[in-house]
Amino acid sequence: MRPVAIITDFMANVKMWYRSKGTVFWAIAFPVLLMLLFGAIFQGQDDVTITLYVQDMDNTDTSEMFISSLEERLKIESIPDDVEFDGYISDNNIRAALVIPQGFENTVQSASMGSNDSLYIILSLDPTRESINGMIRGIVGGTLQGWNMDITGGRNVLIYGEESITAREFKFIDFFLPGVIGITVMTSSIYGTIFRNTKYKKWGILRKLSTTPFSRWEYLVSKMLFMTFVSFVSTFVIIIVGVVVWDIRVIINAYLFVIVTSAAFAFSGMGMLISRFVKEEETADSAGGAVTFPQMFLAGTFFPLEMMPAYLGQIARVLPLYYVNEGLRDAMIHGNNTGAMYNTAIIFTIAAVLFVLGALMTTWTE
Amino acid sequence: MKHVIEIRNLTKHYGDLIAVNDLSISIKKGEIFAFLGPNGAGKTTTVEICEGIRKPTSGSVHLFGEEFSGKSKSIRERIGVLPQEYRSFERLTVYETLKYYASFYQRNRNIDEIIALMDLNDKRNDLYMNLSGGLKQRVGVAMALVNDPDIVFLDEPTTGLDPRARRGVWKAIQKLKEEGKTIFLTTHYMEEAEHLADRVAIIHNGRIVAEGSTHELISRHGDGYTVKLHGCDTGKMGSFGWDVREVKDNSITLHVLKPGDITGILSKAIKDGKGFESMEVRRANLEEVFLNLTGETLEGGDAH
Repeated sequence: MRPVAIITDFMANVKMWYRSKGTVFWAIAFPVLLMLLFGAIFQGQDDVTITLYVQDMDNTDTSEMFISSLEERLKIESIPDDVEFDGYISDNNIRAALVIPQGFENTVQSASMGSNDSLYIILSLDPTRESINGMIRGIVGGTLQGWNMDITGGRNVLIYGEESITAREFKFIDFFLPGVIGITVMTSSIYGTIFRNTKYKKWGILRKLSTTPFSRWEYLVSKMLFMTFVSFVSTFVIIIVGVVVWDIRVIINAYLFVIVTSAAFAFSGMGMLISRFVKEEETADSAGGAVTFPQMFLAGTFFPLEMMPAYLGQIARVLPLYYVNEGLRDAMIHGNNTGAMYNTAIIFTIAAVLFVLGALMTTWTE
Repeated sequence: MKHVIEIRNLTKHYGDLIAVNDLSISIKKGEIFAFLGPNGAGKTTTVEICEGIRKPTSGSVHLFGEEFSGKSKSIRERIGVLPQEYRSFERLTVYETLKYYASFYQRNRNIDEIIALMDLNDKRNDLYMNLSGGLKQRVGVAMALVNDPDIVFLDEPTTGLDPRARRGVWKAIQKLKEEGKTIFLTTHYMEEAEHLADRVAIIHNGRIVAEGSTHELISRHGDGYTVKLHGCDTGKMGSFGWDVREVKDNSITLHVLKPGDITGILSKAIKDGKGFESMEVRRANLEEVFLNLTGETLEGGDAH
């Protein structure tokens, strides 16, 4: 071991590193971004607002009092009592709802006078949001416990039963799968586009192409089609592994194809925009990470938006991955065609805008 | 003969730097025209403006009589380009690479014919990444021929190649000349320009300082002979008042105007300089022309 040689090599690396402005920038910007991001997600846990939809079929003073007691810790939204519950939560993409059945007031009153009556209250939850569900269960269960204490001194008069908001039985991993597809399409499209463009720029391939009749638009479409092909390969591998290894059950329909195609176009367009500003291959990795990581954690793949402070939830709603995740869940899990169509339309629009911007910003020449 | 490339008063600024300064050239159909100059002289900027890759600050480029700024597809159909320091797709074979570029053009030349022309038959199915530097450059030249272009731009086609590989590329370029292609070549190798070009323009600091055939340039600006004495006492010989161009190890390079002056050097070197091991005499070449015109060597830097 020759310390001088090691020090010389180390110093040469330090020099090369700080002379590459892009690398230094991302080496600093990336951890700053991650710390701000995770800090914002986890520091803001006290300000979390969880929404529970309530359909009050009893419509009495007592049921209203019960709702008010829930409202102390949850944001309550009403479901009209004249609509069909399952259809309403499916159409409105509701993930947590409670039905107060008719006879709520009568049961409370008769129990307080000594009868043995009891009443089931149905709490419908989305199994994809286990962390949020735990909080809702705790709040609803605690509130009912308090009421039971007041009414009978502890006997379970009001009991809640839980069911999934989806008609089919799913395991948690079933719900995680769309998120995995979304992340895979995003990372492969963004990284793939940035790396390819940066390399082609450095090797003179883009300069060469600019001297041929091949246009930027044709180049962009071909690259996006390629990223779509890669995205579909990944999507089907994810689905096959999920089905074979984990016995996952998903719905495969036209929305899946439209969403994956639009997502690949949108994220490739995003990659084109980023690669406009990335000059070196060394910087490409960090630049890709700076765009993909925030989306990964903010777009509701791992953490439901309700777990985040409200302002982060608002930020999430401008991220393409959020709509990809929501659209894929609606299409593949919930079978919610309205939601799938809505999210598909948004992703499609984002893809169109990013495609045009990507083409305009991609420079082959000076 | 008709001019297929006409560059008129071309100027290009990068901020405060003037890369090309009011440059004008006309290149005839079927001619090999070499742009000779050291790195940073403005060769690539000029050629890239001609190819439509860069935009000039002022002036214009006409190809086939039509002003070209890179937009005209009909002109792009008729030109072939090998950019400077080009590297192709690593995991495509030679044949696939040529097929790929050919697909962009309406007019195509038979790929097998190009492969044969560039002497790449043995490497046809080899991946680009597995080729040597010289073969990669030949693939680069082949790539510029897929549309059977009328003008071929070759920007530093042999930079970084060993002499053998360089000769392979020269052979390929000569074949293009035989086919009647107009070739616009940039190089900082004097031998390359001498060997290939019908006409040479010497560029220095963005300006053309001389233009003509190699013979004309040498006759006009490269008068005299270079005499190199090896194995001599350079200190002593340097004091004889001769026009010394270079002193290296135990060799000294001198410049004389007339062949008769060589006799004087010989007798002086033998008589007062204690002799020498061997002597090399040659007429001036483009290197001397460049030196005489700019005071610098083609490798860059002051000669003295």
